[in-house]
Amino acid sequence: MPVATQTVLRLDRASKTYGEGESAVEAVRDVSLDLEAGKFIFLMGPSGSGKTTLLMLMGCLLRPTSGSVYVFNEEVSSLDEARLPRVRRDRIGFIFQGFNLFPALTALENVEVTLNLKGYRGGEAREEARKLLTHVGLERRMDHLPEDLSGGEKQRVAVARALAGNPSIILADEPTGMLDSRTGRLITEILRDLAHEEGRLVFMVSHDPRITALADQILQIEDGHLRD
Amino acid sequence: MVSIARKNLFHDKVRFAVALAGIAFAVVLITVQLGVYLAFRANVSVLIDHTNADIWVTARGLENFDFGKPFSEKKLYEVEEVPGVAWAEKYLLAFGYWKTPAGSQETVQMVGFDPETMVGAPWNIVKGNPQDVKYFNSVFYDEAETNRLGNLPVGAETEINSHRVRVTGIIRGARSFIQSPYIFTSFKNALNLSFVNKGNTVYVLVKVAPGYSAQEVKRRIQDTVKDVDVYTSPEFSKKTEDYWMVNTGTGVALLAVALMGLLIGTVIVANTIYTSTTEHLKEFGTLKAIGASNWDLYRIIIEQALINSVIGYAVGMLVSYGAIQAFKRGHLQILLPVPVLVGIFTLTVMMCLWSSVLSIYKVTRIDPALVFKS
Ligand SMILES: Nc1ncnc2c1ncn2[C@@H]1O[C@H](COP(=O)(O)OP(=O)(O)OP(=O)(O)O)[C@@H](O)[C@H]1O
Ligand SMILES: [Mg+2]
Repeated sequence: MPVATQTVLRLDRASKTYGEGESAVEAVRDVSLDLEAGKFIFLMGPSGSGKTTLLMLMGCLLRPTSGSVYVFNEEVSSLDEARLPRVRRDRIGFIFQGFNLFPALTALENVEVTLNLKGYRGGEAREEARKLLTHVGLERRMDHLPEDLSGGEKQRVAVARALAGNPSIILADEPTGMLDSRTGRLITEILRDLAHEEGRLVFMVSHDPRITALADQILQIEDGHLRD
Repeated sequence: MVSIARKNLFHDKVRFAVALAGIAFAVVLITVQLGVYLAFRANVSVLIDHTNADIWVTARGLENFDFGKPFSEKKLYEVEEVPGVAWAEKYLLAFGYWKTPAGSQETVQMVGFDPETMVGAPWNIVKGNPQDVKYFNSVFYDEAETNRLGNLPVGAETEINSHRVRVTGIIRGARSFIQSPYIFTSFKNALNLSFVNKGNTVYVLVKVAPGYSAQEVKRRIQDTVKDVDVYTSPEFSKKTEDYWMVNTGTGVALLAVALMGLLIGTVIVANTIYTSTTEHLKEFGTLKAIGASNWDLYRIIIEQALINSVIGYAVGMLVSYGAIQAFKRGHLQILLPVPVLVGIFTLTVMMCLWSSVLSIYKVTRIDPALVFKS
């Protein structure tokens, strides 16, 4: 049930500079954003423009050099390092371009181990993992290792894994980058449904102009700046 | 619960095998060396430990049991007078040359005890009656020395120091690994056969009377009897063990090999665990992005270390068991009491945990950006 206009993620003049002095790189500059639940948002921009860095700031993997990041009104940018894993665990699901599945684990175990991390135990985790994999249309491939799955199937497992623990925010960095266009579109549609039908904020980096039509909003970034 | 630690270990079968081989190698070296060390230690004091005496009186300045020096047997009477002494006995230990049927000479140590009281007599008899050593120049030897002494059966005759002797019986469990074979006979025979002068003894063995402590009686003997050293049996046993293990370097050499096993094992295990962590770094990064804390990651590494150590220890012990059986066929009794086995297990676990330190350091410093690289 989509919750109307609830801000789940907010950036207030967030900047990230890598390194210091001569070699400093300002990867993200002064980005302010207000992102609501139920929205499917694209981030586009040239290579090196700061897309991944921005995603890491939003996902509490990095803290901004200046400015603030709020997740559900909690200012996470001021939390100390040891408390960030909890925010990621409870609020955020990540999807990566390279899938990043655990190669020694079956599709089912990939999701299950993530659920274990989020506090689900034994049979409960297994049941929930089955449900999530069925949800992304993988009920027939659950017991396969990643190496035996196609790219599209792998990314479905990754989506199911990102959904483990029912996070409100899904962050995806070029999730279709390694898929053919038809499969890419299918995955994008799944992600869109996670936003529109399940009320999550889905924020995705993409280069692909063919799927932009599916987005509610497209943000452009260049040299670390958001363009209007 | 899905154990990513276990799954990853069994997924990289070759690396797992290398790590296990490293651990097992260390375990085998440590177990066998330690077992031999303990066996040697116990062996060099075997006669002291099997003699029913509480106190040993020796010549002044003696270094260990095997290097006995004669002193006047008059000391025996002085010792007997000390309050708290239940009885005192003469006991002889002296070198001699045993003639083999092939004509060669074998150095032996003659042990002379009193066949009336049987104090210091052999305790594990294979053939014959040890009281028969009272007959003229009758001797017993250990079955494990049969070859060395020329395969002489009971009833056969040969010579010690050019005196005729007769094999009267065979015993077991008194083989010396470091010293020459022990030949048991009566005190009187031993004195006749040896170069020790009449009127001397090499040891005086003392039993403490009920109600007295060994330490107390030892001190009294020290105070009243001149020019002798006095030890309780455990002290004399330890002095002898320490001499052979430390002064001769035997123990040091054995323990050094065990230590080397530990070091080499640690290097192999640390190396494989570290390489494995490096190769799985992206997975650790992914876990971190998913919400794993550093401690969750440490737990995975530690679980792997523990699985490695338990299986490595089991494999190592299996191999050690085979090696020990082979040693036993060579009459080398390996001593491995349960506490030592537990100790080696603890050492194995510590080795694996210690080997994981570098990996733990590595995952603490994962760059989160790593997971976004395709
Ligand atoms: N750890 C780092 N240290 C120093 N500079 C970095 C680091 N990570 C990224 N950068 C720099 O920051 C800038 C932004 O990088 P970022 O990865 O966010 O770009 P991107 O838009 O995701 O690029 P791409 O489309 O190639 O993925 C780049 O100039 C990059 O070289
Ligand atoms: Mg990027």
